[in-house]
This record gives sequence, C-alpha cells and structure tokens, in this order.
Amino acid sequence: MSKRKPHIICITGGKGGTGKTLCAVNIAVMFKNEGYKVLLIDGDVENPNTYLLLNATLENKKEVLFFKPKIIEGKCSKCGICAQNCMSNAILHVKEAFPIPILTVCSGCQLCYKICPEKAIEADSKTIGWTYTTKIKGLSLMFGELKPSEARSVTIVDALLDKLEEIQKYNPETFEIIILDTAPGAHCDVELLIDVADIAIPITEPTKFGKLDLIRIMELITLLEKEFRVIVNRSSLLGFREQFLDELEEENIKILGDIPLDSDIVDSYCLGTPIMDENSIYNKEGAGYRAFTTIYENLKKWLEMI
Amino acid sequence: MVIIAIPSMGKGGLNDLLSPRFGRCPSFTFVELDNNEITAVKTVPNHATSAMGGAGVQATQIIGNNNAEVAIVGFLGPNAANGLKALNIKLFHAPDKQITVKEVLDLFNEGKLEEMSSSNVASHYGMGGGRGSGGFNNP
Repeated sequence: MSKRKPHIICITGGKGGTGKTLCAVNIAVMFKNEGYKVLLIDGDVENPNTYLLLNATLENKKEVLFFKPKIIEGKCSKCGICAQNCMSNAILHVKEAFPIPILTVCSGCQLCYKICPEKAIEADSKTIGWTYTTKIKGLSLMFGELKPSEARSVTIVDALLDKLEEIQKYNPETFEIIILDTAPGAHCDVELLIDVADIAIPITEPTKFGKLDLIRIMELITLLEKEFRVIVNRSSLLGFREQFLDELEEENIKILGDIPLDSDIVDSYCLGTPIMDENSIYNKEGAGYRAFTTIYENLKKWLEMI
Repeated sequence: MVIIAIPSMGKGGLNDLLSPRFGRCPSFTFVELDNNEITAVKTVPNHATSAMGGAGVQATQIIGNNNAEVAIVGFLGPNAANGLKALNIKLFHAPDKQITVKEVLDLFNEGKLEEMSSSNVASHYGMGGGRGSGGFNNP
C-alpha cells in the first residue's frame, strides 16, 4: 500500500452546515482504524473547527505572512514607476510626493518591490493568519486560520497546500490517505483544494438549498475534471429522502451513500468523539453508524482498494 | 485660495451634475475658489472608470495631482477614503439628490455641507451588477 501515491480525497459541498467536517472526520477515522496513515487537512480557514470534532488542541502555530511594500523615503526618487505599474492600483502616487501603498487593495504580487529602479521598496510583511499541525488519536491534522478582518483566505489555503506539497516531495510515504475538508461555497479556496485532490465528495442535504448549492459545486468539480460522488446527509429530513435520491439518479449523479438523522451522530458531534472512532461508545447497529460503514465500503470500492 | 474637487457625471463643468460615485465617476471638476468667488474651473476625465480594482486609489491620485485640498463627494469607499486621508484632503458630503456642481458649491460656500472623516459605503459600492451594487440610479 505505501508504495503507491496517496489517495487525496476532497470533502466539499456548496452549502454550509451540510456535514462536510462530520464526514471528513469520520472518513479519516475509518481509514485510520484500518491502519492507514491518514492526514486530515481543514481548508475552511475562516472557520477552522475540524480539531473540535476530534477534541484536539491547537499546536505548532506558524504565521502566514503577506507581502507589504514599504517605501524607503531616503532612497525614493518619487518617479512613480511603482504606482504606474501596479496592476491592483494599490499605490497612490501624487507628483512630487512619496508613493503611499494602500494595503487594502494590494494583491501582494511584489511587482513594485521588484521593479523599483532605486531599490526604494522593501519587502515588508504582515501576518494574515496561521497554520497549525497536530496529532490526535493516530490522525495527523493540519489546518489554517485566517486572521479576522483579513480578506485573503486563499493565501492561507495556499500555505496549507505548500506544506502538503513539501510532504509529497520529500516524504511521499508519510501518508496513504489525505483528506481535504473545504469551506462551503464554490470560490477559489475550495477550487484550490478540489484541484489537488484525486476525487471529490460533495456533501448535501435533501432541501432546495442543498440541491441548489450541490449543482453549483458540481459545476466547479466538473470544470476541474474530477470524479465525484455525493453523500446525502440528514437524508431522512421531513421524508424527502426517496424523492431527493430519485432526482439525483435521474440526473445521473452518483451517490456514495446517505446518512439519516441520528441522535448518536448529534451526540458524537457535541462531545467531539467521532461516531466511527475505534473505541466508539455508540451503537454499532444504529442508523448513523451503519450509514458511515456503507459509505466507507463504497469509497474503498470506488478507490479500487477492495 | 482653495481648489475643490467634485466628481461629475458627464464631461464636467459647473452645470454638470455631481456624480454620487467617486472612484468611477466619469470626470472630475476642479474649481478654484478665492474668498468664495470662483476664479477658475478645470475638468479632468477619470481614467479609473473602468479599472478592474483600485479605482478609488487612482481617482484619489487625480485629485492629488490637481492640487485639490477639498473634495465634495456622494458615496465614498474605504480605499478612496484611506487615500484621500493620506493626502490630507478635506472631505465634505454632498446631499443625496440630483444636484449640479454649481449648486453643491453654493452649499459649500454657505457652510451647509457636512464634513466627513471616513468612507460611507463598502468597496465596489457603485460598480453596478456586482456585490453591493445599486444604492442609487444613474440619472
């Protein structure tokens, strides 16, 4: 098993609150239970909370820095080349005055720093968030956190992917299964994570909201040319299960499984003890436990692991 | 003597309408006032109208390059506000209605405009179609 490339599985879904993190954590736990070396990456950097579902703590905090141009007035000739060439129009330059960087507009491209003929722009930086790595119950966990009020969440996701790339390059045998948990939505943070994955699993629920957002995320996954299969969470909600599953089938959308409403899942969620933990205190004959077991079997078949 | 910048709707000038947008207004009218008397009027097209981003910063640059010390604006986003503040340009808020450059100057001279210290709308407010669009209609 360890000789092949790790499987990279992206758990996503357009809508918020459908159970992406619940599924990501439990799928990770099920692989770990069978002895696989698993890395779980929480890519929802605006609300990183995967660690809570595992009762883990934040460790190995590392700053994510963002370029900030700093004008050295002693060297600056006020020529304005930096402002004229800034694609984001983030440098305010009025004739005969020193240029003023407007950081809220700056994309961090560093062009000004590179082209200044007087070398009067210093590459300063500001902290826009952090990454963390930690181990819990035999799982490796990596997650990012965007500093509140900062706008560039994708830079934090990028920092996580840089870490992943480093592992893949220098220690490719460290992990056999890599699970990426995305933010809700179909924006660039989500796109980056789906793009590095082999397969995607959108999580949805049998409501109009769920369906609409599923269609949006499917469009993104298709655009990125990834195979995907859907998990329908809270499938027993209001008795819409059959109708919803039929609709998906009519549209040739493949399903990995569905998870009915289940009090064990709610309890495990609240307590931070995954229902699929190897020492699970929950009912193995319960609807939630059985649903996850089926999903896991289907996932392994899909990955041709069995 | 003071130079006042006013975002305008068309080609600019005293009889043109004030543009409620700042960063993406079609033109700026610069009026030189000496003891409340208009001594010169200049119009400058706003090349930032179609900028992908940072229109507020570009427009601020036009204001600064024309030596304005005061700007009378309708809606002002945070990037433009930061830039104007950095240039120490005094900001006054124009009334939320169709008004000509001349009329708003009269209000300014009568001391009837309120001074502003920060932005009053979010980024890209006046871009139309996108997020945060449509607080007003272009006449």
